[in-house]
Parts: sequence; structure tokens; C-alpha cells
Amino acid sequence: MSPRNRILGHVRAATATRPEAPHPGRFDGTYATDDDRTPVERFSDLFTTSGGEIERFEDVEAAARWLARYADDYDGVTVGATVPTALRPALPSTCPDLAPLGVTLAAAAIAETGSLVLDARDGRRTQLLAPTHVVFVKARDIHSTLVDALSDLRGDLPSAIGLHSGPSKSADIGQILVRGVHGPGRIVAAILGEHPDELRGGRHG
Amino acid sequence: MSEAFRPAHYGTNAARIIRDEPTMRTAVTEATRSKDERRQAAWAEIDADAWRDWARDLKTHVLTHLADYLEEAEDRLIENGVHVHWAETAEDACRTVTRIADGRGVRRVVKAKSMLTEEVGLNAHLEAGGLEVRETDLGEFIIQLLDEPPSHIVGPSLHRSLDDCRRLFHERFGTPPDATPETLAATARRVLRDDFLRADMGVSGANFLAADTGTLALIENEGNIRISTSVPPVHVALVGIEKLVPTFEDLSGMIQLTARSATGQPIGNYTSLIQGPRRPGERDGPEEVHVVLVDNGRSRLLADDHAWETLRCVRCGSCLNICPVYRQTGGHAYGWAYSGPIGAILAPGLLGLEESMPLPYASSLCGACAEVCPVRIPIPELLVYWRERAAEEGLAPRTETAAMKAWATLAEHPGAFGAAAEAIRVLPRGKAGRALPVLRGWVEERAAPEPSGERFLDTWNRREDR
Amino acid sequence: MNSPSADPTPAPHPVTTHSPIRVALFATCLADRFFADACADSVRVLERFGVEVDVPEGQTCCGQPAYNTGHREEAARMARQTARTFADADYVVLPSGSCAGMIRSFYPGLLDTPGAEDPGARTPAAVARSRASPLSARAYELAEFLVRVLEVLTPAPDGTHVPLGTGLAGRRIAYHHGCHALRELGVRDEPLALLRACGAEVVAWDGDIECCGFGGLFSTKFPAVSAGMADRKLDALSPGVDAVASADGGCLLQLAGRARHRSAGAQPPFVHLATLLREGIGA
Repeated sequence: MSPRNRILGHVRAATATRPEAPHPGRFDGTYATDDDRTPVERFSDLFTTSGGEIERFEDVEAAARWLARYADDYDGVTVGATVPTALRPALPSTCPDLAPLGVTLAAAAIAETGSLVLDARDGRRTQLLAPTHVVFVKARDIHSTLVDALSDLRGDLPSAIGLHSGPSKSADIGQILVRGVHGPGRIVAAILGEHPDELRGGRHG
Repeated sequence: MSEAFRPAHYGTNAARIIRDEPTMRTAVTEATRSKDERRQAAWAEIDADAWRDWARDLKTHVLTHLADYLEEAEDRLIENGVHVHWAETAEDACRTVTRIADGRGVRRVVKAKSMLTEEVGLNAHLEAGGLEVRETDLGEFIIQLLDEPPSHIVGPSLHRSLDDCRRLFHERFGTPPDATPETLAATARRVLRDDFLRADMGVSGANFLAADTGTLALIENEGNIRISTSVPPVHVALVGIEKLVPTFEDLSGMIQLTARSATGQPIGNYTSLIQGPRRPGERDGPEEVHVVLVDNGRSRLLADDHAWETLRCVRCGSCLNICPVYRQTGGHAYGWAYSGPIGAILAPGLLGLEESMPLPYASSLCGACAEVCPVRIPIPELLVYWRERAAEEGLAPRTETAAMKAWATLAEHPGAFGAAAEAIRVLPRGKAGRALPVLRGWVEERAAPEPSGERFLDTWNRREDR
Repeated sequence: MNSPSADPTPAPHPVTTHSPIRVALFATCLADRFFADACADSVRVLERFGVEVDVPEGQTCCGQPAYNTGHREEAARMARQTARTFADADYVVLPSGSCAGMIRSFYPGLLDTPGAEDPGARTPAAVARSRASPLSARAYELAEFLVRVLEVLTPAPDGTHVPLGTGLAGRRIAYHHGCHALRELGVRDEPLALLRACGAEVVAWDGDIECCGFGGLFSTKFPAVSAGMADRKLDALSPGVDAVASADGGCLLQLAGRARHRSAGAQPPFVHLATLLREGIGA
């Protein structure tokens, strides 16, 4: 008998006479106080509390103008595969392990946890290796809750998704917080709204 | 790691640490208090009772139907292009990883933090086979350089101060003796960046495995797990069979509750949701992903009608952070991978009761751990359960067993009990006191108790007789 | 029955309007031997509030040391002895949070077979009585009993309570919450409110709810760890406390014993809650 079948056999025997224990149903994360912030506001607050930076733009043109100025401080960039042309900085394209700046497009974001949803299809190294990381995300792609985001993602899962919720951090050195070990020490979430009202909206209102 | 690093030596190791390493207690106390405060603040934001009930019920459901979920997960993983292996023992798990490494000519391995790999002794096994293994989590990196075991489930190096780290980095990497934490971190980043890029294989654990999509969920703050599981061409994940959750959506509750409990954050800074190897059209990602499903005593624990509740554990460390016994020594005294309250109830299941003695007794049963466990494991009850098993299996000290029988007999005979209680009044103090085993333990560290001049019951009965 | 003589000064708090309640006192083996005064003080306090106190013969040990070390059968034997002793009591009051916790939390599991409570029960009525009102439903720690059953505290408009007495006026007391009273019985505010209602100031004490390190036999199995836990508590005591109090004799022996071991010099007195309450209400 294979290890697999032996293990499964032991597990089945172990649970054969256990009383039934039903699945408790979908997780409904209730909170101690009501929160009337919009998803964009909630996402932004958590992201900045975590040490991330937030920029907001009415449209892609405004974002592109900002990006051009931002990129002035860098001499190379690695850009995600799904980033639209308008949001690619005019910098030499450098391989991800050497680039000082990474620019990517998030598949979505999550207000409840302050997380950007990064899809492997955009390029994992680009999302992870540069010390500064700018992530564009559309306001209308900000989900209210993590469970909503997962529900939405399951139909089209890539090889990996990363939920990035701030700059890389560690307190392992004498309990003192440091950044940039090993992921980006700076991360900017650049939120794109196509209309001023979009900045107040969100995928699930 | 020495021969002394075994649960059996808890008493002497604890005493030695307390006596010879006074900074250990201070460092551990400060670190765990601040972690517990963060957990408290994070729980105060949510309806913690509801979240904990949900998580307890979810894990209870999974464990009750574990075989079905394991089979479902295996089907999904294979569909996703993942190689699935099953390891019954620690030895099997290590050999499986070696086999995978040999098949790919692997020489250099980067490790993401995984308590399961500590449990099975993977690093030592791989290094004995000639592989170079580098821990990439900063805390694990530090203790690897110091050749020490982890002292906490979530913060393995929390017993080491900033000065300790400064000395270590100065010796190994030539940083200035008064380097700032930022300089030390930047050094670690630089050293490990090389290792990530040159590695042939990344090894991780997993916090959860969602059965209906075959998704591995991993929680961290540094990014080393994301990098270890993305950059090397091969990724091997060791996953305890109890890590299953039924659905992709179920990950939401478990990930958030674990993060709030472990570090006080709404979510870990990086959460990896891994389905499998890189797909056509993706720029990068591992070519090969392997999942090793590890039993190593879990199915035996599952079969125990009391102790199976232990398997709900999400390895958040909350119980360690509140435990006044753990705070005295940190994790090294416990003599194996898992310390604190959870270590004491996992050990009898995974190591066997005899090998785990006396850990089930390394607790005053204060109950603080049960109050903070996110999945409501009744830890004090399980400690008493293992003590009962020890007594039944003849592992309890013989003198203690005999004394308890005698005490019960006395208690059933109030007159004799009273006489014995009276005899205590004339109990020997000082040198003679040290001769009695129970008393010796007391008088080593405390003044002997003073009995009242007359027992209350004697006084009462005397007055009644008038 | 002879009661110790009452203090001639009447208590400012009116005697409870409940009709006289009868209570059985379970001294507990540790308090009986090491805190006999506290047992006597418990009786006096209860009597001052109009309670009639019995002290049934046959009481010995609640069985907690055996239970906690996994000697379940021995614990069950002691539980049966205890249940027999207190079978007829409407209320059982203990000057010990840990023993009360033992009875409330673990007697049901130890005595869960019909008639186990009262092995002498033969008639359906007697069996029904032992099942319907097991000892676990009738046992209370002293402070808990005073506040929750006798309801001796009357709220005052300013959020405090109407004074029960002035015997502790000006006294600064550090209160150690025994783990079992705190976590098994949920007793936390009651002892503090009682002390304050007698005029005491309960001082802040970092770690007041942390385990003192007694844990029964734990204290002798792992003496260094146990002593370290006591040190943590003692180190955090503010200087100038007039007394360290607890409702648990084991905790008091642990803290007092460690304090004396560390320093031969002056210590604050380590006092049982019952003794302070007797002083407080002038009983």
C-alpha cells in the first residue's frame, strides 16, 4: 500500500465515528464598530497605516504626468506585462533584479485589509525585487471585503496571487521595525478613477 | 544543537536558562507582551467571539471530513500541474525533498520560514546530503548564523537583542559594531538577494491549503516567502495534513484571524495564494511545484477523541505570547520545534507521550492560553488529559502516584486526614525539609510555609463541644 | 452553635433582607492548615451578613491536586467524599477560588454517572436530588457569594458602593487575582469592590491577573520557573503597599514564601481576603 493510501486510511479510521460537524458557512467578518468610510477611503487608510503611500488620479492622463515626474529620480525601471502603455515610464527597461523601480498594475484591491491584489501574469519578479514599487489600481476594482475579492478571483486564477498590503517589514532585529527586507521598502498605490465620483465608489459600493 | 535539546530536559534547561541567561527572560517578556498587546488591539476592532467561533467550527468541520478534503485538494493540485507527495514520517518528508532535489540537480536551497520543516529536521538532513541551505526569514537567518533553535513560533529570534545582532553581523559581514537596524537589514537584504537569485530550489511550508482550488496560502511580512516561491525554478511546499480548509473563500476568515492574532495586523504584509507552477504566458514563476503532505503523527492525534482538537492550531503564537511559564525561558527550554502551551499539547501527539515528558506538566494551568486561542483549543484541559494518560501509562513519577493514592485514602477518612494535617504542623524545616522530595522543590526557592497554630476544623469542633 | 464574639460596633450596612440563609463552609485542606484565621474570619463575615454557618464534618480535600496531576480516579474519590459531606447544604462557601473552581468546573465530569454524587442514594428521589442539584451548582468562593448571592453591595450614585464598613480606611492594598477564581469562576471585580466598600484603596499592580507560579505541584516540579513567576509579580509591586491580598491560600504561600526568601527585611503582610473583609466590616 502506498504512503498516500496508508495516510488516508489512518485519517478515515480516525474520523469514522466522529459526530457530524457542519461547515459554519461563508465567513462574515463582523466588526466592533460601524464603518461608513468608502472602500477607497478604507483601503487608503489601512495602506498608509501599514507604511504604504497613496496617490489618487482622476484619469490615466493625470497619472501618467505624475509618473513621468516620479520616474525622473530613477535610471531604470521594470514594468509589469499588463501595465497599459500610457503608464510605462520613459526609462530604460532593466531586468527586475537590477531595476531601482518597479511599475505594475494590480488586478484588484481590498478595502477590508488594505491590500493590493497582484497577479502573476503581470510578472512576479517585477512585483517583488525592485526597492521601490508603484502599483496602479482602478478605484472600481477595489473590493469591500477579502471574501468578496476571493470569490471574484476564483474564476480566473493565475499560478499565483500576491496580496501586498504595505512595504516589506520585519521586527526580527531586536523588535525594532525595519523596512525593505526583502521586498520593496517603498510601495505606492496609485488609484485611478475615471471620474471624480469613481474615487468615492468601489466595486461593491 | 546538543543532546540536551529534548523535552526530557525541560526542568534542567529551564533552570539553567533562568540562572545563566537573565537577558533571555527580559527579552522574551518584552517581545511577547508587545505581541499580545497588538493582538488585543486587533481583536478589539472585530467581533472576536464570532470570528473565533467561526474558525473553530471551520477547522472542526475540516478535521471531521479530512480524508475527503485531502483527496479533493490532491485532485486540484494535480490538475494545476503540481506534483503531490505523501510523507508518513519526518524521515519520509526529508527523503522526499532530497529525491526532488536530486532529480533536478539542486545544490542551493533557500528556505522560507516553516515550523514544519523545523519539526522534521529538514535543514540538517539536506545539509548532510551536501546541499547548501539558506534561511531567508530574517529571524531564521539570524538563528541559523548562531546555530540556535527557534525560541518562538512566529518570532524565532525574539530572544536576541539589537546588540546581539550587531555583534553577529559585525563578525560575519563586517558591519560597524554600532550599526543601525536599517544597516543590518540592508546587509541581510543584500546577502540574501544573492541567495535568492542563485538558488536552485525554494522550500516553504504553508499556512493553509484550500481544497476546492488547490491553493496554498502563505502569510508573511518580509517578502522572502513570495520571493522563495517565485524566483527559484523549483518550489517545494511541506504541508501538514491538518492545514486544509474547504474552499478558496474560507481562506479569508482564516488568514485574517491568524494575522490579527499573530502580529496584530488585519492581514500579513504579503499573502501568497499559490495554485501551481508558472503558466504559459506568465513571465516568471517556478517551472516545478511540489507539495509534500506530511502526517508525522497527525493522523494518530486525529484519532484521539480528546486531543484531536489540538489540530485546529493555526500556529499564530498567541498562547506563547500570554504564557507566564513560557516567558520565564523562551522556547529553548522545551527541547523541540514547538514551545509554550501548544508545544506541550502537540508533543505527546507528534512525538509520543514518553518522548514528550514532562512538557504536559510544564504549566501551572493558569488558563490564560485558552482565553487567547483564536480557534478555541481547550489547552488546559488537554494538558490535564495528557497528565491522566501519563498516570495511566505509568509515566508519572512513582512517588507522586503513590502519594496521591494515599492522599485519597486519607481524604475518605476524615479522622485520619485530620491527624495527618496535624502532623504537618511539626514538619521538619531547613535541612530535614530538603530531604522530602516535595518540600525540597519548595524550599530551594521559597521560605517554608508556616502552619496555623491550630487547624480551623479543630478550633471549630472544640468550640462545638463546649 | 457558638459564634466568635461580635464586634460591638454595628456594621453601617443593614443586615440583608433575605430570610436567614444557611451556608456550609468548606474550609479546604490548605486554608484549614495554613490560614485557619481566614476560615474563622469567613464565618464571622458571613454571620455578620445574617447567614447561619455550618461546618460539616467529613470535609477533607476537594481533590484538585490529584485532578491537576492527572490522577483522575483519586480526584473522583475525593469529589465523592466532598459531595457526600455537603449533600444537604443549600450553599457551600469556600475561602478558596481554586477549590471553588475545581468543584464548579470539574465535579460534573468526575461525578457524571447517576448517583455518583451521592453513592448512598438509593431512592429515585435521592438520586434525582443529587442530579438536580449537584454540588457544582451550589458551591461559591467567598467574595463571589457575598456579592452575587447575598448581594451585600448596594450601588451608590457616584458609581461606587455604599460602604460596608470603614475598617480598611486608608489602607493601600495590592490584590492578586488567583487564576481559578478569575478564569473559571469569572470573579474579578467582586473582591475589589468589597475591599473598596470597606475603605481600602486597591492599588494598580502590573501583572495582577498573571499567575503567581503556584499551580499546586507545579511549584515543586519546576521550582526555578515557579519562583521566576513569583518574582515577576513581586518586582512589580509598588513600594508602600500596606498588604498583598488574595482569595487563595496557595497563592499567598507562594508569594509570601518567595518574598521572604528574597529578602530577610520587612515585607508587606500577605493576607487572605477573608481576614481583610472581617477587619473592614468590623466583625
